[in-house]
Amino acid sequence: MSISSPKPALDGLRILDLSQVAAGPYATMFLGLMGAEVIKIESLSRMDINRGKARPNPDDLRVYPNGEPGERPWNRTAHHVHRNINKQSLTIDLATELGKELFLDLVKVCDVLVENYRGSVMDRLGLGYDVVSARNPQLVYLKISSQGATGPEANYGSLGSTLEQTAGLASITGYEDGFPLLTNLVYPDAVVGILSFGALMTALRSRLKTGRGCLVDLSQREVTTMLLGESILDFSVTGRIAGTMENFHRDMSPHGVYPCLGEDMWVAISVGTEDEWDGLCLAFGKAELSRDSRFQTGESRHEHQKELDKIISSWTSGQDHYQVMHRLQSHGVPSAPVLKGSESIVDPHLEARGFWDVVEHPEAGTYKQVTTPWLLSGSSRIASQPAPGLGEHNYQVLNGILGLSDFEIEDLITKGITGEVPKE
Amino acid sequence: MDNIFSDINVLDLSQGISGPFCAKLLAGWGANVIKVEPPYIGDPCRSSRPFFETNDRSQTSALFSYINTSKKSVTLDPLIPSHTPAIRKLAQNCDVLIESFPPGYLASCGLGYSEIAESSPDMVYVSVTPFGQTGPYSAYKGSDLIAQAAGALMYTIGLPDRSPLKVGGEAALYTTGISAFSATTMAIYVRDIQGFGQHVDISAMEVMTVSQLYSSIYAQFGRPTARRESNLVRAKDGWVSPGLETGVQESTWLKVCELIGKPELVNDPRFITQESRRANQNELLVVIADWAGTKPKEEIYHTFQSLRTITGYVATVEDLLLSQQFVDREFFKLIETQASPDTIHPGSPYRIAGYNWEISPAPRLGEHNEEILCQALGYSMSELGLEDN
Repeated sequence: MSISSPKPALDGLRILDLSQVAAGPYATMFLGLMGAEVIKIESLSRMDINRGKARPNPDDLRVYPNGEPGERPWNRTAHHVHRNINKQSLTIDLATELGKELFLDLVKVCDVLVENYRGSVMDRLGLGYDVVSARNPQLVYLKISSQGATGPEANYGSLGSTLEQTAGLASITGYEDGFPLLTNLVYPDAVVGILSFGALMTALRSRLKTGRGCLVDLSQREVTTMLLGESILDFSVTGRIAGTMENFHRDMSPHGVYPCLGEDMWVAISVGTEDEWDGLCLAFGKAELSRDSRFQTGESRHEHQKELDKIISSWTSGQDHYQVMHRLQSHGVPSAPVLKGSESIVDPHLEARGFWDVVEHPEAGTYKQVTTPWLLSGSSRIASQPAPGLGEHNYQVLNGILGLSDFEIEDLITKGITGEVPKE
Repeated sequence: MDNIFSDINVLDLSQGISGPFCAKLLAGWGANVIKVEPPYIGDPCRSSRPFFETNDRSQTSALFSYINTSKKSVTLDPLIPSHTPAIRKLAQNCDVLIESFPPGYLASCGLGYSEIAESSPDMVYVSVTPFGQTGPYSAYKGSDLIAQAAGALMYTIGLPDRSPLKVGGEAALYTTGISAFSATTMAIYVRDIQGFGQHVDISAMEVMTVSQLYSSIYAQFGRPTARRESNLVRAKDGWVSPGLETGVQESTWLKVCELIGKPELVNDPRFITQESRRANQNELLVVIADWAGTKPKEEIYHTFQSLRTITGYVATVEDLLLSQQFVDREFFKLIETQASPDTIHPGSPYRIAGYNWEISPAPRLGEHNEEILCQALGYSMSELGLEDN
């Protein structure tokens, strides 16, 4: 995987990014990493909420490096720093006529517009698909919304934590007691971010074929519901309603996490075949167990899963979770340590594959950055560039792309339409 | 009108969930997918639960039926010497090849990326595996659970006094398939514009490490993530999250107090601002729970959303099919087939005006052997040892 191409995958594509929070910014981050030019638009009175407050209270829940908001807190939040790499930051107040005109001028020279506001916001601003496509018929407009562009709930608001409820994912996530639980990690946002990239590629291929742009209507709830496909089919035929299953699996046993040496350390083991079961017994030096009648087949192991879990826990506790993985995997048994964030950033495998980029952020310090969920042999990704300070690329975009003079830009700053310091 | 990928032929050698889900998404936008399965036994996914009607493994798998829509099935095994040339011939007519074997396996059959690229330099060759094509764990085996563990996702899920918990179902494997789809569509785009094919390497561990939106950065910024108590509130028939601790206007709080019949709470210092509501979340949840316990969850959802809160309700698969939003958008599709029961499927993951999402029933094992292997490639069934398949 070392051949490098002369040009990045998305060379020459220019993206206007109005998206906020998680799903949209993640999608445009991947676009930036694959070589597209991403212009992130915010306004001084309405920054991406990832940036937190201009002057956070002491009890603010945002995460800053070492808990210190610093001089410009809006450039230092974990969310902003981590989701907005490889983007340029432009501030324009879209509520003003002048701001709208600047935006529409940019639309003319861009290939893609991404936004994830509440359903009706762009129309209310007078910047809906009809307006922007009239300015640039080749524009691909990716409209990421909670519920899709139509339907009775089209204007409902959501976060990743509510989507996992309304899309059904929470109903199958939880311990055996049947209580639904949330992921605490807004899992749907990641899924939508990754799929949005493919949605854009699909739409860009349509543009290649027809010479025209298009509107992509993406409902985050619908995308998340795709993760429950088999349970939906099953319900439609048998009437069975899928519920929570802890870490158990319909076909595999043993299947779960087991305590290891250290504070809150665990190893995951998942046995799907008889060979893997024999491998597990061998790895733990308990060949006789593979002949134990309670554990002879997948079905019987399922039936005696609780007893089996106790036996396995007694082997794993006291051992290092990485050591258990290596030992089991060397016997052909699927296993992995349950990694914490602090372990993930130093994991030798991810390190060997160059997954993490080290980013030196001028205001937030040096840290390891998530990159892409793919590697392409011929189209390497661009090295991660630090998330931009608010308005950092105002001049570059307003002058470099739109050709505004210094005088005109000064005027915009005076009018509060652009700038680098948020209005409180 | 042609569909977006109707000029793209896909050879899907992958099995299980992730690779086949990628192929399904391509097929939805018109790609012609030929699914290659081992003779007689087929993709192991065919014998994965849940099964329609009974738990008998000979019954149809709901999982397989979902993931393999709009594909054709032929039975060939890369390990059988007489089958390898047939697979190579199929590949020569294809633009995309998807596989999920352990790294190096197909190369040992003469079907690795470099062998295929030699005769088809513009092939988009997609490998979808638990840990990727390179690195110390590349030969290791995986599963949905293993990906969520290795990807620093599940450590944070679940309750503080219990074990880490995985996202339910096969979420990690689906997400891995979605990553493969996005990467494949990008590689097709590069081929369209720049004219070359390439090897796409998808690692489920990396997909999950990308999907943990907080764990790695919070750990580095000095506030490691941890499992925490649930803030769902019990409604009459299930669970809701009122969402009052996040971004609601003060006028909304006023209306909520009226709605739940507790106007005196408007000026209660514990709840008067967003910050105080968050700080006193547990007390707030108790107050809401008194009221919510008597109301259906979906009613609470609609009522609170109409006040511009960000409220959720925990929908079951049954609730999804009844949701007016889904009904109105015709998201679910009924698939009728003679071979297995009629089924309801999730439809298009996104919509593009002018194109239809294509969805037809998953194929029977080897259903298209005659059409593809005999009529198109000129083999006889006996030549391939497939008379009984």
